[in-house]
Amino acid sequence: MRRVLAFLLLAGLPAPAFADVGAVIDRHILPAYEGFAAAAESLAAEAEKTCAPEALRPPFNAAWDAWMQAAHLHLGPSEEKGRALAILFWPDPKGLGAKAQRALLTGDAAALEPEAFAEQSVAARGLAGLERLIYPSVLPEEADSCPLIRATTRDLARMAEELVAGWEGPEGFAQNLLTAGEPGNARYLAQSEAVQALFTQLMAGVEFQADQRLGRPLGTKDRPRPERAEARASERSARNLILALKALREMAVTLDGTAARSAAAFDRAIEAAEALEDPTFAGVASPEERPKIEELQKLVRQIRRTALDEMPPTLGVTAGFNSQDGD
Amino acid sequence: MTTRRGFLVGLASLGAAPRLGWADVGAPAWLTAGMKPDGAYVLHGLSAGGVSRFEIPLPARGHAAAAHPIRPEAVAFARRPGVFALVLDCFTGEVLSRLTPPEGRQFNGHGAFSADGRLLMTSEVVAEGSAGRIGLWDAESWRRIGEWDSGGIGPHDLKRLADGRIVVANGGIQTDPTDRTMLNLESMKPNLALLSAEGEILDLMELDEELHQNSIRHLALIDEDAGVAFAMQWQGDAADPAPLLGLWRPGEAPLLCEAAPEDLFAMKGYAGSVAAQGERIAISSPRGGAVMIFDRSGAPLATHRRADVCGLAALEEGFVASDGSGGLWRISAEAMEPIARHEVAWDNHLISAAA
Repeated sequence: MRRVLAFLLLAGLPAPAFADVGAVIDRHILPAYEGFAAAAESLAAEAEKTCAPEALRPPFNAAWDAWMQAAHLHLGPSEEKGRALAILFWPDPKGLGAKAQRALLTGDAAALEPEAFAEQSVAARGLAGLERLIYPSVLPEEADSCPLIRATTRDLARMAEELVAGWEGPEGFAQNLLTAGEPGNARYLAQSEAVQALFTQLMAGVEFQADQRLGRPLGTKDRPRPERAEARASERSARNLILALKALREMAVTLDGTAARSAAAFDRAIEAAEALEDPTFAGVASPEERPKIEELQKLVRQIRRTALDEMPPTLGVTAGFNSQDGD
Repeated sequence: MTTRRGFLVGLASLGAAPRLGWADVGAPAWLTAGMKPDGAYVLHGLSAGGVSRFEIPLPARGHAAAAHPIRPEAVAFARRPGVFALVLDCFTGEVLSRLTPPEGRQFNGHGAFSADGRLLMTSEVVAEGSAGRIGLWDAESWRRIGEWDSGGIGPHDLKRLADGRIVVANGGIQTDPTDRTMLNLESMKPNLALLSAEGEILDLMELDEELHQNSIRHLALIDEDAGVAFAMQWQGDAADPAPLLGLWRPGEAPLLCEAAPEDLFAMKGYAGSVAAQGERIAISSPRGGAVMIFDRSGAPLATHRRADVCGLAALEEGFVASDGSGGLWRISAEAMEPIARHEVAWDNHLISAAA
């Protein structure tokens, strides 16, 4: 597949001077989905062997690591059938996931059959759901969780495969981006729209880190909300942030190799996140630690400002005529 | 345009220029504002096939427009907080009048004509405090002739029902008079107000307390006199999304339309336009890059993706949508397909022109 894409590029498929859509697909998007598919497959295979939490945690963490390479891509196959949401349903302020899982743990086993499970609530499936099954959580301990663990891991592997299949091949979503503006492309009516679509993913991804991954536990000064941090049970809150920032950085510099200021802004935020040594952002409630997390949030917001200043002129895109206006 | 101007001059010289109608400007189906690649702002009249029938320069970014029901004249409203609206002759492109709200009032985005075309009603706020007003303008002389209470804070869209009554979307948000800073998110209380043709408040519909942060902003008339569809913008927790579409028949409780679970976050809590056609209602979100279609029972039928999509209007079958990349799309519950693409970033709304 990658060779095919490389060939298309060599064959002189026109691309804006500095925006490398082909490289983003070839070096960022497809490897991310392929990596997640492999990790999800390993996780499902392990779950077939055992439902022991200790055995499942390493492949579970590897799968979540792999998903962080692709979690920011909300376009094409990941938006169909709610796949991205089903793979990682967070935030979940009303606890919809745990509620739906409780019903599945005690209900008719037929709901766990692959086809039926695929139709279950997006909140009940995916990585956040699996975390509740293999780490201490609000779910009842007495129930036999093994069938639900297996259903969840099989479902993840299935969605991961669908994502790869949805992007690759002659009918794959990658072709929509690569043939933007060509006759017959009913998705992207101009080449600039493909670049715009990728740039939008980048900016929304950075915003999500600041507003959600950091913003939710930060809450307000008067009311910090450490309990709202993502993936506290598996202590992945900070790890997810760091991996997401690194993936977004890779996407940015692949899309625009000249975006040095944006890359530097990413580096400052990643460095600060790595220096934090607070895996669940518990420090939001501590007077000594909180300023460091607030500072980190500022650094992440600064990435977006820098990138919005630096990249659009090179890429020939805008911040969004209506989406940034609002009325 | 040159030939049309020549034609007009010719008519004028005959001494008895007949009144022109929308057919004389190419019978556009919709009016929409936009921005050209060089940054110039314009108002376009578009045919149902997506062809531009005319382009008129605007001095600043437009928001919505109101089309005169008979004469080919459009009132183009500036973005909030609006200090002017322009009455445009869509035949010549001339500015016929510049409407300026009275001291202490600001236009707030939309306007509507009475059925006979003699009265223009504009959504306005008292600059300090955002109390809603409906400004009244004589549509011949373009003089200010009065105002009504809109029934709430921060009115945005308004629509005239077939029987002459008016529905106003009072968004509930108090804004800073100099910019769009929102001042009352904790206490906001949007409503739909039903006004008589004389401006008397007949009914107020408020959402349940838990939805008080759901700003009601845009309206569409549902066919067969079945009330209005209203589109909302959620100011509460983004992680706890609220319905963005409601259907309301005056005197009855509203029906709120929930997104399908897998699409709960697709709109990013924001609906920018709404249109109704037959049994279907569509809402758009430029922030989420998505259009959702519901049926009149409130069930979600489809979600289509398109970056920066916002303008929506009804077609004979299905809907047309416009976006910030210049695209015009035909949308149904089954499909979304391109009609045309212009080198114009289309602004928030497609306004139906001509009766």
